[in-house]
Amino acid sequence: MAKPLSGIRIADFTVHNAGPFCTHLLSQLGAEVIKVESAMRPDAFRKPHPVYGRMGPATFDQVASTKLSVRINLKKPGGIALAKRLVAVSDVAAESFRPGVIGRLGLGYDALRAVKQDIIMLCVSSSGQSGPDSHFAGYAPLFGAWGGLGEMTGYADGPPVEMRHVMDHTVGMNAAVATLAALQRRRATGRGGLVDVSAREVASSLLGEALLLAAAGQQPHRSGNDHPRMAPHGVYPAAGEDRWIAIAVGSDAGWRSFATLIGAAELADNPRFATEPLRHANRAALDVIVSQWTATLPAEDAAERLQAAGIAAHASWTTPEIAADPHLRTRRAIVDVAEPDGKERAAVGVPMRLSKGAEIGIERGTPKLGEHEDYVYGDLLGLTRAERQALADDESIY
Amino acid sequence: MSNTSLTTGPLSGLRVIVNATGVAALYAARLLGTMGAETILLEPPAGCPLRREGPFLDEAGQASALFAYLAAGAHSLICELDTDHGRAMLGGLLAQADIFIDDTVLAGRQASGLDEAAVAARHPQLIHVSALPFGAHGPKAHWTAEDIILQHASGEGNLLPNGLSIELFPHRSPVKIHGHFASLQGGLAAALGALAALWARPEQGGQYVDISSQDATLAVGAFAIQRLGDGSVEHRVERSFRYGGVIPCADGHVELLTLEQRQWDGLVKLLGEPDWALDPALADSLERSRQGPAINGHIRAWAGSRKVEDIVREGQKLSVPLAKYYSPAEVVRDPHERVRGLFQPVDVAGVGLLDMLVSPFHVDGAPLVLNGGPPVLGDYRRATVGA
Repeated sequence: MAKPLSGIRIADFTVHNAGPFCTHLLSQLGAEVIKVESAMRPDAFRKPHPVYGRMGPATFDQVASTKLSVRINLKKPGGIALAKRLVAVSDVAAESFRPGVIGRLGLGYDALRAVKQDIIMLCVSSSGQSGPDSHFAGYAPLFGAWGGLGEMTGYADGPPVEMRHVMDHTVGMNAAVATLAALQRRRATGRGGLVDVSAREVASSLLGEALLLAAAGQQPHRSGNDHPRMAPHGVYPAAGEDRWIAIAVGSDAGWRSFATLIGAAELADNPRFATEPLRHANRAALDVIVSQWTATLPAEDAAERLQAAGIAAHASWTTPEIAADPHLRTRRAIVDVAEPDGKERAAVGVPMRLSKGAEIGIERGTPKLGEHEDYVYGDLLGLTRAERQALADDESIY
Repeated sequence: MSNTSLTTGPLSGLRVIVNATGVAALYAARLLGTMGAETILLEPPAGCPLRREGPFLDEAGQASALFAYLAAGAHSLICELDTDHGRAMLGGLLAQADIFIDDTVLAGRQASGLDEAAVAARHPQLIHVSALPFGAHGPKAHWTAEDIILQHASGEGNLLPNGLSIELFPHRSPVKIHGHFASLQGGLAAALGALAALWARPEQGGQYVDISSQDATLAVGAFAIQRLGDGSVEHRVERSFRYGGVIPCADGHVELLTLEQRQWDGLVKLLGEPDWALDPALADSLERSRQGPAINGHIRAWAGSRKVEDIVREGQKLSVPLAKYYSPAEVVRDPHERVRGLFQPVDVAGVGLLDMLVSPFHVDGAPLVLNGGPPVLGDYRRATVGA
């Protein structure tokens, strides 16, 4: 059997991270994703990224893997016409330019519907396609700031915290969900549709409960690692340099188990800690006690012992630990992929396991610019060699 | 029997049954429900545990903001899965459902007939989604977790805070992302998996979808793994943009990020073209990266005496990517979001009408519509399911 989205084709005009992560997820699930770039505007991973500290092109780009690559110069009329031909044989057209740009290029929703009546068009942008801020440029940290997630994250006595790529990719995951819903509707009704994903609203969707508090007149604020109810609840020092363990005790029974485990059963009935509200009120004192115990143990050992006692805990993992983890590898959440030079490296798989169909996940590494034009322009669009050469000559394919 | 007739979302006509004690499973149902599916939350007589999880909207602690957000638009059906009657009721429901989302711990599934094989045998066309912290397969499948655990098991936890926060507090423990970030990622992945499996149903029939919130949170943190492959191990102390980031102002904070040359040029104008910024060496982006800390010193000194709104207003005119760090109250009353219909008034029992975030995306140029607020316990009449 095939992958679940086998047969779906996506013309992918997305740039940066949020939109490409969406189509990356869909490609891992079996959609044929045709990534559109040009030598004039190559994907960001093909260029240095000095603000991020990368001084040369990346050799592997997670979100471009498994995609097909073609060159289309959207500055040329011939490029626009070629893009429309691609959309005409696609189920989804995805873009993430600043609102208005795709329309000015002549590839807005109405123009694409004219060439494919039931096309699903996905637009991903910082603030959505409508509203007074829709023209704002943005990146992941700005989405987190506008959306409230940055303000609500951080130490209670410190500044807000900048959200990083997790923000972009959460936008992409929302976009993938919305795209599949639109495809589902197309199957049921024959209608295409326009999906407009706002990145700042995705950030807000991650604090829906806090927004509801604010709507009710309360003033929610950032609170570090505290939980509204639980204590102990935090990140505690473990044995070794910069080693930490996360622990959450969620019940009185869990507290008793914890006290016993650390060799201080008498704490269970200590009047400062006997009930959950008392533990929460006295959590600063409790955290000192917990830290004294955790600091004596390697984080992995402490986590194993706590989990064996039914207490939620995990070592605070560094990236190398994650890349090597047997559990994540068993689940194919971490996989090895081959670089162009044959070396293997760890990559992140698609976050699900399905009981039927072909194996999902990354199939190929990062495509070379224009690597799949024989298939796309030749087999799919039926362009002759001469037609392709003419498009190359006028820099529509560039 | 339900308000499905009011639904116009893209998933109109689908039915989702959710048996949830945690955030991931219920959020998956919330996503599908907001897109038009009819969702029914199975609850024990005492109610879903999330009804008792803070923060609360009322002083009495009876109205959970978390539950209200996650369960908005769903129906509630009391169903005791530890009784024959309850299991028979569930069987009737699943026979009419498209998607079943369940977060029962693995050890408890067989007794309730909720294990993969039993559900598949009885309901071969059903999409059965398991949503657990560490998934249903693998050596840690039986491990328990709260959100802070998942954030640290998936890497992002160890990488925060960054930038200004860690400059100020370099020796403190890492800090988590607000709220239920990792579990919400699990919910998103569960919705994605459900819809992918649903798409394949005509060819493949029903199937089992195994979701792990750890996997989902790792997926959105994929760049740390990518950089590992590039030979760079990220650490929260160094994981910041070389300049920009969180900038303290006189009355709050702004986020500043200039990735492109024209954005840097706009920033120089915004700063009043001071001598240090006009240094020809800084025309080169690589050199700016090398001098990042010194540049940030200048920017912070400039911003410290200015108001956030002034900086953002003037910066936007110059196309400098700048954003105010909005508080939740500011998000709720944000004129942009009012125009876009991000919030919809819904009734929360015991509290009244409140503006609730609907969905971060529009379909066909309009916001989605919530069917209502959180359900009153047992609002879905048993008679409607024939049990």
